[in-house]
Amino acid sequence: MTFLRMTACVALVAICGCHARDTRPLIAIIVPAEDNPYFKAEADAAAARAAQLGYRTRVDVHGDDAYRQDNLVDAAIASDAKALILDNAGTDASISAVRRASRAGIAVFLMDRQINARGIAKAQIVSDNDQGARLVAGEFDRAMHATYPGKSSYAELIGRESDTNAQVRTTGFHAVLDKDPALTLAAAQSANWSQSEAFSKTETILQAHSDIRGIIAGNDTMALGAVAAVKSAGLHGIVIVGFDGSPDAIAAIKSGEMDATSLQPAVLISRMAVDEADVFLRRGFTGKPEIQIIPCDLVTRLNAGQFINFEKRQ
Amino acid sequence: MNDTRSISASTLLLLLKLRAVLVLVALIIVFALLSPSFLTANNLSILAKHVSITAILAVGMTFVILSGGIDLSVGSIAGLAGMVAGGMLTVGIHGHLSGAFVSICAALAVSLLVGVLNGLLVTQFGVAPFIATLGTLYIARGAALLLSQGRTFPDLAGTPEGGSTGFTALGQSFFLHVPLPVWLMLVITAATVLIAARTPFGRHVYAIGGNERAARLAGIRIDRVKVWTYCFSAVCAGLVGLIIASQLESAHPATGESFELNAIAAVVLGGTSLMGGRGSVGGSLIGACVIGVLADGLVMVGVSEFWQMVIKGVVIVLAVTVDQFQARIQSRLTAAPLSRGDTPRVLA
Repeated sequence: MTFLRMTACVALVAICGCHARDTRPLIAIIVPAEDNPYFKAEADAAAARAAQLGYRTRVDVHGDDAYRQDNLVDAAIASDAKALILDNAGTDASISAVRRASRAGIAVFLMDRQINARGIAKAQIVSDNDQGARLVAGEFDRAMHATYPGKSSYAELIGRESDTNAQVRTTGFHAVLDKDPALTLAAAQSANWSQSEAFSKTETILQAHSDIRGIIAGNDTMALGAVAAVKSAGLHGIVIVGFDGSPDAIAAIKSGEMDATSLQPAVLISRMAVDEADVFLRRGFTGKPEIQIIPCDLVTRLNAGQFINFEKRQ
Repeated sequence: MNDTRSISASTLLLLLKLRAVLVLVALIIVFALLSPSFLTANNLSILAKHVSITAILAVGMTFVILSGGIDLSVGSIAGLAGMVAGGMLTVGIHGHLSGAFVSICAALAVSLLVGVLNGLLVTQFGVAPFIATLGTLYIARGAALLLSQGRTFPDLAGTPEGGSTGFTALGQSFFLHVPLPVWLMLVITAATVLIAARTPFGRHVYAIGGNERAARLAGIRIDRVKVWTYCFSAVCAGLVGLIIASQLESAHPATGESFELNAIAAVVLGGTSLMGGRGSVGGSLIGACVIGVLADGLVMVGVSEFWQMVIKGVVIVLAVTVDQFQARIQSRLTAAPLSRGDTPRVLA
């Protein structure tokens, strides 16, 4: 056992000692998760663009935990990062971390999610969740009427209810759908952005409300869970829409299992954030307003071929 | 103690022992009244399928808890098993795709490996079970993420040309109109009940949880028994991960997050003591039913997620409070003979 312990110690020292010195300036990238295709695409695109522009990068994950984000920001300060590209862990909970980073001389660029404070971050580049939600809800409404003339009812799968984007999206959905007297909301449940939770909750909802003809979900992962549940129930012709534009959802749209999704231009946004960070580090200003809102794209069967990994093909 | 007091106390004790069943019946009645489609055959079949996920985990973990341990790694093992099978079915090893059967066996073998690691950490390295399995929780989750670099493995339905079809049968097929996962749950529970009641292994598990020192002195090979309990728990967890991946036709590395808590809650609801030595496998199944009925029923009735969490928490806390109450009454009635439903006591 002593031998095992010693070997482990030696291995650890060897790993730590292997880091070569790299003198390029550091850009720290912090995203919520890497097991989600959206955040993964966002992190990869930011890291790739930063490397291309001659920066050293480090990608960390805060897992939507503001405390962990705080520690990661401290680590970025300690490792003398020049810029921080951050998809933050909460509109209010992240303000102090962003402020601390900018006081320490790090230029902070927020992507994907805003914070409830102005003038601390150099830029806040986000996709328009409200516009995207209205866009996909409009398509949902159209598809419901095209498939089921007359009155019909639908279910909604909401994201994690403590998450601002979940709130903005459901509000956007209802801004459109509540105006249509032919549509009735039969059930609304949170599935916490999760596919397996969406699967089991949709199965149960379909049992309680056999008249459901459509499902609108706050993200694509939940929409795909609903697709699996509808399939397992042996139902056909249920209109399902999601949000995000993940590659799996686009594949499901191509095969007709899903109707539509709202694609957030994640790759474009994270490249913009890195580009503006680069301009700022070289010139001291970005030349852009702090808040930049980028519209979402509607993806349906007609145009699904134009999109790939959160990006419109050029 | 006079006779009438003793009789009323033992009636109370019986009711307390049956509390999980009583709660389950009460929940079913309430939800049947609130939602007309709750008691339909279709919904019961789906409900049973949802219960099977928690039940297989809980039954698998019961031996670990009975022997005085805990297994926090089951959720991560479920995620890892799904990813191993998903990777072998869709990406393959060196581009060579595996069939459904081979992938399932490989995923279960990987789960078993994590179980062996848990068992060795606890028995050979003297790490407390809570810490050892907390460590493997992170290791298995990290490994699941590494397998795909965080991506999902989609399209597990496979293609006939690739020879990888059949995997979806595990979670989606029916036998005698009952979903296959429910059969798996019943078979595993039945086997575990038999092992607990009729084999030396089962008695050893109770003995170790009741008094480890006495068990050691009685000549029980404690280390071996403990390693087996962790292996069994891990393989059950792996099976759950495979069922979920098969149902969703995709494997996601975050699958199974916080499943361990549901499983522990089910075991505790079923009357198994976290201190070990006291409890039953059947209780864990009932506990899993309570959690499953609660989750599905609240969704059917349309209660919000926030209230669902509060209600689930209240039920768990109440169950454990009642458990303490029962223990107190039982100690007052030590003179009374043990009733038939009692679990085997520590062997001398």
